[in-house]
Amino acid sequence: MKAEKMLRLRDDLQEDGILFCYSGYMTEGVLSSIGKAIKDKLAIEEADKLVIRSVFGLFVEQVQNVIRYSEEVESKKSDEKVLELRYGVLTVGRKMIQENEKRFFVAVGNMVKPVDVERLNRNLTEIQQLDAGGLKALYKKILKGETPEGSKGAGVGFIDIARKSKNGFDFDFIAVNNDRTFFTLTAYA
Amino acid sequence: MDNIRIEATERTPEVDFSFEDNIFSLRGEAYPEDVNEFFGPLIDQLEEHFASLDSAEVSFNFELIYFNSSTAKILMMLFELLDSTAGEKNNQVTVNWLYDADDDNMEELGEEYGEDLENAKFNLVPQDN
Repeated sequence: MKAEKMLRLRDDLQEDGILFCYSGYMTEGVLSSIGKAIKDKLAIEEADKLVIRSVFGLFVEQVQNVIRYSEEVESKKSDEKVLELRYGVLTVGRKMIQENEKRFFVAVGNMVKPVDVERLNRNLTEIQQLDAGGLKALYKKILKGETPEGSKGAGVGFIDIARKSKNGFDFDFIAVNNDRTFFTLTAYA
Repeated sequence: MDNIRIEATERTPEVDFSFEDNIFSLRGEAYPEDVNEFFGPLIDQLEEHFASLDSAEVSFNFELIYFNSSTAKILMMLFELLDSTAGEKNNQVTVNWLYDADDDNMEELGEEYGEDLENAKFNLVPQDN
């Protein structure tokens, strides 16, 4: 029964074209090693090197967003260090568009606070509506200015994802309970 | 100031800073676990060194294959530092952006950083491979 269940999980993932799936606590170490495996897999698939770079770039930004912002978080204080782990789900896969054309995607999902949903939704909708010129202008404006409040990086992660998503991105939310909403973003290289 | 030479790792670029010749290079991939930990000390030393320059010729070479969005912010700070250095005390600063000739994305990013330079000279340098 155990093998049957696990095989079904594998088959379901493969049916959706998923090459990599990780659900768990995300760390910079996880990023490094899965990143290496993704590069190797895409190299074996003989994907174009620029496509590999885009997929890899999308993967880094998406995973770092989970590492920094997932609200499903556990932490422990010891001495002066705070050990913190944030949970998320990652899938990297490919869809066959035509016989010889495949399109890669990188999706992540993680918990957010319901209070942040409106802001995320507004930001992402705005970004989604911008053309290449608009994305570039916004990217530069934020890089040159103060880092947006609440950001733990440069504050341009979503814009970078939009710029690397040559075939667009989509996102969705589902309320889980009063305290948590599940957020997912899929970027198509 | 002692020259700095740091080998590349999977996530950090090779750093080659020659303070005596005023030739500086960053080469490789840049998505450090902690951008401030990696770039912070380097930028501090560059700032200190550049402040002491007078009528100097400076070359800064960026030869990056990939950088993440946190590093993009650091690069913006570096370009601003280089441009302000070029605007002071007759310093001549040349910034070279070396990129894989096939990589339009990297070319575009170089253009975006370069177009804001008012004092430093900027060259986009495609590399064949």
